[in-house]
Amino acid sequence: MTMSSSIDRSPSHANRRRVVVTGAGGLCAVGNDAASIWRAVAAGTSGIAPITRFDAEGFETRFAGEVKGFDPASELGRKESRRMDRYTQLSVAAAREAAVQSGLDIRSEATRVGVLVGTGMGGMETFEAGVETLLTSGPKRISPFFVPMMLPNMASGTVSIDLGAKGPNFGTVSACASSAHALGEATLMIRSGIVDAMVAGGGEAAITRMGIGGFNAMGALSTRNDDPEAASRPFDLERDGFVLAEGAAVLILEERGHALARGATVLAEIVGYGTTDDANHMVQPAPGGEGAARAMNIALDDAGVTNDEIDYINAHGTSTQLNEKLETQAVQRVFGERAGTIPISSTKSMTGHLLGAAGSMEALITIAAMDASLIPPTINQVTPDPDCPLDTIPNTARPGEIRFAMSNSMGFGGHNVSLVLARADQRAP
Amino acid sequence: MNSRDDSNESPPRVVVTGYGAISALGLNAGCLRLGVRADTSGLRTITRFDATDYPTSFAAEVLDFDPGAVLDRKQARRMDRFTQFASVTAREAVAHARLDVAADSTRVGVVVGSAFGGVETFVQTADTMLTKGPKRISPFAVPMTIPNIAPGMIAIDLGARGPAFAYASAFASSANAIGEAMRMIQSGRADTMIAGGAEAPITGIMMAGFAALQSLSRRNNDPSQAVRPFDLYRDGCALGEGAAMLVLERRDQAVARGATILAEFAGYGSTGDAYHDVQIAPDGDGLARAMSNALEEAGLSPGEVGYLNAHGTGTTMNDELETVAIKRAFGDSARRLPISSTKSRTGHLLGAAGALETVIAIQALEDGILPSTLNLETPDPACDLDYIPGASRPQSIDVAMSNSMGFGGHNVSLLFRKPSGF
Repeated sequence: MTMSSSIDRSPSHANRRRVVVTGAGGLCAVGNDAASIWRAVAAGTSGIAPITRFDAEGFETRFAGEVKGFDPASELGRKESRRMDRYTQLSVAAAREAAVQSGLDIRSEATRVGVLVGTGMGGMETFEAGVETLLTSGPKRISPFFVPMMLPNMASGTVSIDLGAKGPNFGTVSACASSAHALGEATLMIRSGIVDAMVAGGGEAAITRMGIGGFNAMGALSTRNDDPEAASRPFDLERDGFVLAEGAAVLILEERGHALARGATVLAEIVGYGTTDDANHMVQPAPGGEGAARAMNIALDDAGVTNDEIDYINAHGTSTQLNEKLETQAVQRVFGERAGTIPISSTKSMTGHLLGAAGSMEALITIAAMDASLIPPTINQVTPDPDCPLDTIPNTARPGEIRFAMSNSMGFGGHNVSLVLARADQRAP
Repeated sequence: MNSRDDSNESPPRVVVTGYGAISALGLNAGCLRLGVRADTSGLRTITRFDATDYPTSFAAEVLDFDPGAVLDRKQARRMDRFTQFASVTAREAVAHARLDVAADSTRVGVVVGSAFGGVETFVQTADTMLTKGPKRISPFAVPMTIPNIAPGMIAIDLGARGPAFAYASAFASSANAIGEAMRMIQSGRADTMIAGGAEAPITGIMMAGFAALQSLSRRNNDPSQAVRPFDLYRDGCALGEGAAMLVLERRDQAVARGATILAEFAGYGSTGDAYHDVQIAPDGDGLARAMSNALEEAGLSPGEVGYLNAHGTGTTMNDELETVAIKRAFGDSARRLPISSTKSRTGHLLGAAGALETVIAIQALEDGILPSTLNLETPDPACDLDYIPGASRPQSIDVAMSNSMGFGGHNVSLLFRKPSGF
């Protein structure tokens, strides 16, 4: 076994601090709390529908994965919620749910609890509205809340204020890998002993004119306007782009001894984290999936898990032609002959692509799947792509034990993150 | 494969072997050194857009910047200004360090802090969308805007294949990036990190946004006198733009390859106020904890710090509460500690401020010259420490600290010491 990549001062896996998940909260197109999200994903339900957040007439894509029925004023308070961009509102709601579930008394050990909430875009709706005001009404009409609301660190800042966490506090930004980075970096901070617990995850709310228009300009979005629920079809031959979605997912990560001492329920353990960069192209993954494969290998090595111990992979699987081709090659590089038989699904087929919040949402789903011994499906699998000869759990969930799972994320800029999660009962004590 | 265990140092010691900087004081770190030492102000009336109707019409702009002179011209056109700054300074830092990234590319990472990312691109895109419709948006709009494209493009330009991403903590972003990069090397995840920050906020929307917050000085008739940290008549900060990047590496690697060690990384503290979105906690507790954590990690007592580059924005609230925090962390040593804010010269580089001021602090260590605080003429009774008024002060020091704070309650303190042979 090579030395771990943890930042603890002792190199071996055996005596490093272990990091467990004691709370999970989330909102996305298929549900407004973690339990609802899992029920919908387990049932193979699509959350994709026509856009209601703005008038999408004239846009090439007119559907998305919107969070439905979320009333920020009643959830977070009328005055408070008006001073938050939607991505921060969603992040705070998810963080509250996670904190309540964990039962962690954050305020009583405030300086030992940090916050790390990643986002790809930050306060897009606020930014867009601010620029429109500037162009139509002039500089003196800009609100004093414009800057703080649009900043990409404000989810982390606001969550810390809301929960009273005074430890290290910042956001990670790596496009669609942002919240996967947040979970990985938070894990390492706990291992190192700098903190005992972290509130970590991601939030995104980019279903705006600029979000849809910008990704449309890249040819990145599905334009299946006549059948939105069938639009997100990762690994299917007829896939034509990703479906933009919004939401947030936040986990409470805690040093294992700390969690056990206070009698907390352990939901899962984060055992491995790998992160690399392709250094290849602004928006395209490296040929052969080299960077992503390297991240997976580092994560396995960090976890002390061999590739045949992985029972399930939650793929990045965006539903673009290029992503799945190269992600398949990356999985083949790491898992060799097993690549064709290991269960691998993309839950983006149901939730859409939460961009910076995708990694933590998929970690949340993976944890629920491990707990339920049920492997979530990839829906909309009609015509297999010969370039993706994988077991994608087509259309319906499949019962199966998941002792160790991997969740992969990739972002524009060549960022790759792989997380390895262990079921709560693995490796005890 | 992921890390190496060929050293007796545990954790490995981390040193600085190169840096680069672009600011209103000039297009490289040498210009920065001269401009800081000569007490030059970089604040002038804005030329990047017509700011006549704005409450504040000056800033610290980078002048005569031609990214195509350094980078591939076509590549540079596909970068927002903040990424151009980042890429050019990363090249400078790597050249300064005489680092061969390709020699061990998977062991070299890139982290960059930026508060906003590609503001100019975002604004132009919004304008296009509103006036011409969504179908006229450029395919480069999204990738040019996202804050993580700076580390992404540096990784491509230099061929660095280790961990790469961006940090966001508003005006502490690049200080967090540098501190976390140090941790990545300590933990064995990388041997070398290119770390820093970049920002290009001098646009109508940000000038209007910060004016609405009452953050900006309105001394439009006298920009060079406008930013007056710790002065009784201070009335706000000025926006600045630019970038700064450091090469951090394992000390044993630097020694083995014969690199010049400019400074050793001594400590890093990062905390949250959990108090208010734009205000600083009134007891200064968050920043004080960041400074104390950095000192504790370094194993240094407060009296051993020879210079503090303050966040010192020149707003009434910041300078007063930073003083409270310094007293809290340094106790009796606070009165003997030379402190200055160099934002009076460079403006406030927002997410890039921490990195630029880290370079300034390291240059103070190298040169034994402590930068002054410009425009400190009438001391504020609430700010009663040694802020180096008047002219830069020749004084040899062994340890330098740099503070950063950001909206959202983020506090970072970084600590560097003179390289030693042991």
